[in-house]
Amino acid sequence: MNYIQLEKLGEGTYATVYKGRSRTTNEIVALKEIHLDAEEGTPSTAIREISLMKELKHVNIVRLYDVIHTETKLVLIFEYCDRDLKKYMDAHGDRGALDPVTVRSFMYQLLKGTAFCHENRVLHRDLKPQNLLINRKGELKLGDFGLARAFGVPVNTFSNEVVTLWYRAPDVLLGSRTYSTSIDVWSCGCIFAEMISGVPLFRGRDNQDQLLHIMRIIGTPDERLLRKIATEAAPSTPEGQQQAANACKQYPRYPKIPFQQVLPKASPQAIDLLERLLQFDPNKRISAAEALNHPYFTSTAAPPHPFPIGAMAPPQYNYPHPHAAIHGPQVAHVPPFMTQPFENRFPPHLSMHQHHENQMRLQRQREAAQAQAQAQAQAQAQAQAQAQAQGGGQGDMHTGTGNW
Amino acid sequence: MSVPLYPLASLEQIEETPSLKDGIPYDLEEDLRAYGCKLIHQAGILLKQKQVAVATAQILFQRFWFVTSMKQFGIGDVGMGALYLASKLEECPIRMRDLINVYDLLLQQATHSSTSKLVSQSKHAVFKYTPMSYFGSTFYDLKDALVVAEMQILKRLGFHVNVVLPYGTLVNYLRVLGLTSKETVCSRAWGYLNDALQTPVYALYAVPTIVCAAILLATRHLGIPLPSTPPNCWWELFDADWEDVWSVCGHVMRLYRERDASDQTRLLSMVSKKGVRKWLDDHAVLN
Repeated sequence: MNYIQLEKLGEGTYATVYKGRSRTTNEIVALKEIHLDAEEGTPSTAIREISLMKELKHVNIVRLYDVIHTETKLVLIFEYCDRDLKKYMDAHGDRGALDPVTVRSFMYQLLKGTAFCHENRVLHRDLKPQNLLINRKGELKLGDFGLARAFGVPVNTFSNEVVTLWYRAPDVLLGSRTYSTSIDVWSCGCIFAEMISGVPLFRGRDNQDQLLHIMRIIGTPDERLLRKIATEAAPSTPEGQQQAANACKQYPRYPKIPFQQVLPKASPQAIDLLERLLQFDPNKRISAAEALNHPYFTSTAAPPHPFPIGAMAPPQYNYPHPHAAIHGPQVAHVPPFMTQPFENRFPPHLSMHQHHENQMRLQRQREAAQAQAQAQAQAQAQAQAQAQAQGGGQGDMHTGTGNW
Repeated sequence: MSVPLYPLASLEQIEETPSLKDGIPYDLEEDLRAYGCKLIHQAGILLKQKQVAVATAQILFQRFWFVTSMKQFGIGDVGMGALYLASKLEECPIRMRDLINVYDLLLQQATHSSTSKLVSQSKHAVFKYTPMSYFGSTFYDLKDALVVAEMQILKRLGFHVNVVLPYGTLVNYLRVLGLTSKETVCSRAWGYLNDALQTPVYALYAVPTIVCAAILLATRHLGIPLPSTPPNCWWELFDADWEDVWSVCGHVMRLYRERDASDQTRLLSMVSKKGVRKWLDDHAVLN
């Protein structure tokens, strides 16, 4: 292997993460070792992580550099980050709470990474402080795509067992399987509040308790909305529907508590953004891309140290880096494997070439779709006219028919 | 940056598939692909799999043969691997044991019906499934083959396992064309899309082209006129080329041609790579 394995960084359910150093460039990386199980084959978390992350190249998403594949294990080589947001908050926050400038910088980067995922049709489905990594430059990066999935046409139903409980959206708690990007937006809102206050906003013990925690703060929504979400989620049998409808009646009617009361330290603009992120109704939740244009980020008035958008100042902090000597001179040096397109480092596979053409084509098509709507009326009118002209008969049918 | 929606085979891969390079004639590969997909389909039904997982498996299976020769891997093992993988991708995982048993059953059943057809038409022996021996190694061998197949699909496709299914697009196009009220058109076109899964078209053409082909086949068979003279060709609304649409139609229609029983027997003997290798050896002598 081209990497030297250093100390263990952590252990998850299906993988062990080590710090590693490239033999060729000395660059520090994270090695995620996945053991292949004879009972389950390749873990689906690994399949998701690789298939989605290799396409997502963004400064606010942990880069997957390479995949090493042997008989017994699969090693994913990731960009190295010093710590996750949870640990960062413990180390740098005031009892976990971060200062407003850092919160704004991190929140901006979190939404930027999330918006990029959504733009590329990927749902993360497990955003939480433990999965957000912070490097020495103060860059925040989305990591752990083990629960992520690609989404396309929203007819698919997805697994309901997603997102760590405290960051799980109420529609998912109510059983929705047709959720979309709004599920990640909810988690962003929870993380936002947590960075401001230092403690998780909604700390439920189980599914039901989590819902009650949410309602106690943002208020119980009106029964129509509850019923709509619950009946959409329930099986379409009469009993299932009835059950769902009954379940909605049992929730206590909590009034809404203003966020200002829950988070006294937050600025009015922060409160306004939070309000839009934490909407009970998934359809009313702001999108990650829209949130980036919120006055909280764009106006210069609110936070104490204004800075231009897009050039977020990294938070002010420094602590001794254990590998300063290794890192020092090599920061500017781009390791060769980073300059190489990722696809080339995979074994031969279906060419991406056509595929880009295809992409262009789809792009054009999307544009054409708007034109289509107009053309549709025209085409229909023509089809009707033709059908009439031909007495509704076979008419045009055989134009260009070959022999089959 | 644009994220690729789904990969398609390159011209080079289409002109000379790895199997063709190994001496497997084009039409034989075509039959083996179709049979492999049929097995996936049948297994999917017996396992009560979601249709999206079955369709995904068939598309991955078709893609795989543009990067691998059938001399190296059998259509049975790869079919199982594809269905197993797709069930994970679509979040409806199946048990390995169930999958292996179902494949064993299907192959026994196929062998039974093809031999009884050849022996005599009148004496129909009733098919009886003989389960795998509890202590034998068959199950464990198949399990290993399944794990290897899944890994190989991932590896050789470079983890490009994103599949875009055509059904949503079909509904969309039928709406645009004002055909949703005609139930026969909808169900027929839907059926053609499913049958097309047994052909390589999902690894060759973009989804809009395949959907246009399904609509074309359905409307023409049912005698429903659509504007088809330039400059008013309905498929152009969807950015499809006539040549491509026509080619997809050809692939699908070839599935329905008359076949004799010996074709089926030949296919059955080639479900494993061993069978394919034996066939290649036998035919190498003849050449």
